[in-house]
Amino acid sequence: MAKVEVRTDVTGNVWKITAKTGDPLNEEDVIMILESMKMEIPIEAPCSGRLVEILVSEEDSVDEDQVIAVIESS
Amino acid sequence: MKAAVLREQNKPLEIEEVEISKPAPREVLVRPIAAGVCHSDLHFVTGDYPSALPTILGHESAGIVEEVGSDVTYVKKGDHVITCLSAFCGHCDKCLTGHLSLCQSPEVSREAEESPRLYRGDETIHQFLNLSSFAELMLIHEHALVKIREDMPMDRAALIGCSTTTGVGAVFHTARVEPGSKVAVIGCGGVGLAAINGAAIAGAGMIIAVDMVDAKLEMAKSVGATHTINASSGNAVGEVMELTQGGCDYTFEAIGLKATTEQAWQMLAHGGAATVIGMIPVGTMVELHGVDFLFEKKIQGSNMGSNRFRVDMPRFVDFYLNGKLHLDQMISKHIKLSDVNEALDALKTGQEARHVIMFDQ
Repeated sequence: MAKVEVRTDVTGNVWKITAKTGDPLNEEDVIMILESMKMEIPIEAPCSGRLVEILVSEEDSVDEDQVIAVIESS
Repeated sequence: MKAAVLREQNKPLEIEEVEISKPAPREVLVRPIAAGVCHSDLHFVTGDYPSALPTILGHESAGIVEEVGSDVTYVKKGDHVITCLSAFCGHCDKCLTGHLSLCQSPEVSREAEESPRLYRGDETIHQFLNLSSFAELMLIHEHALVKIREDMPMDRAALIGCSTTTGVGAVFHTARVEPGSKVAVIGCGGVGLAAINGAAIAGAGMIIAVDMVDAKLEMAKSVGATHTINASSGNAVGEVMELTQGGCDYTFEAIGLKATTEQAWQMLAHGGAATVIGMIPVGTMVELHGVDFLFEKKIQGSNMGSNRFRVDMPRFVDFYLNGKLHLDQMISKHIKLSDVNEALDALKTGQEARHVIMFDQ
């Protein structure tokens, strides 16, 4: 099992975190929703596994390519 | 109410019964009369731009105020309004320095722990761009609409809600086109045609429309293009350079592609400015020849025409009503909400102007 970093594609604000640490995830499951330029942008799991770390909180600002969560791939 | 819901990317929208919340103190319930089906909606269907799902698309609409929240004083029931995705908070740095379209404040949407504006039973239906106009009712922040005069036809007014403001605004506000200058617009969809029309209003001396569809180039002439180039030849840049004898003062990319963005840059004269309006898919990189910067070429983005929509949109309404802004030919068909998928399919072919949903049909 490898640790996989989940990164953002765009700058924005964390609107809602929909998964929690320890959750099992399938590839493309939504982990959180960013708000950027009025768009709600889902951040999806790049692989299936277990969510081991969430590195941001709701209302945080995030930059492009920032690591916002870590998954232990299955 | 009935709404067209996107549940899965690359699948048709589904017409469903959706529930809508009551207006919070600063919210307004709007009954849309007309809603344009825009190419930007298609980006979210195809997944070129990600979106939280399920959602109700649609972001280009005009309608009548149905109900207002307790703190709303700007509009009242019965007012005619255009909605706009550039909802502004009014007190952040961007708003206070006149860049309202860049406002990022989350306060124009409901917070994550509040009940959603749109829902179906226990399921949240995500509001698209704080609007979601493919629905019989819209619940929006009071800073996401502008009052307009009542003699403005609603279908034309809807276009001002996005494509017109994006194209004309890019010319007026982002690029600030000077009278007599040379302009090229790449892409003659709704936004590109609006940019051409805007360049004509601004007094540009030469306006070159570039597209691969002859019918769109004909339409470009009808809204102000002085020259047209069918890019199918594969040498649009060369043809622009020859026509202008050295390049354009301003170019506008209104498609959203790497190749056409790079062409917009290559078409510039020394000191010229390229403005990218099109939505380039997330993750795409654009390449520019670095030495060109020595010639003071500039490139910039434009989001929703760098608008101040509460000032701009009533002016655009006046432009239409006094014959300067040509909106009639932008509408190819009036449709019902249930025909929205047909309208999205038509956008994929690039052959037609806009379909506009009429809710009173």
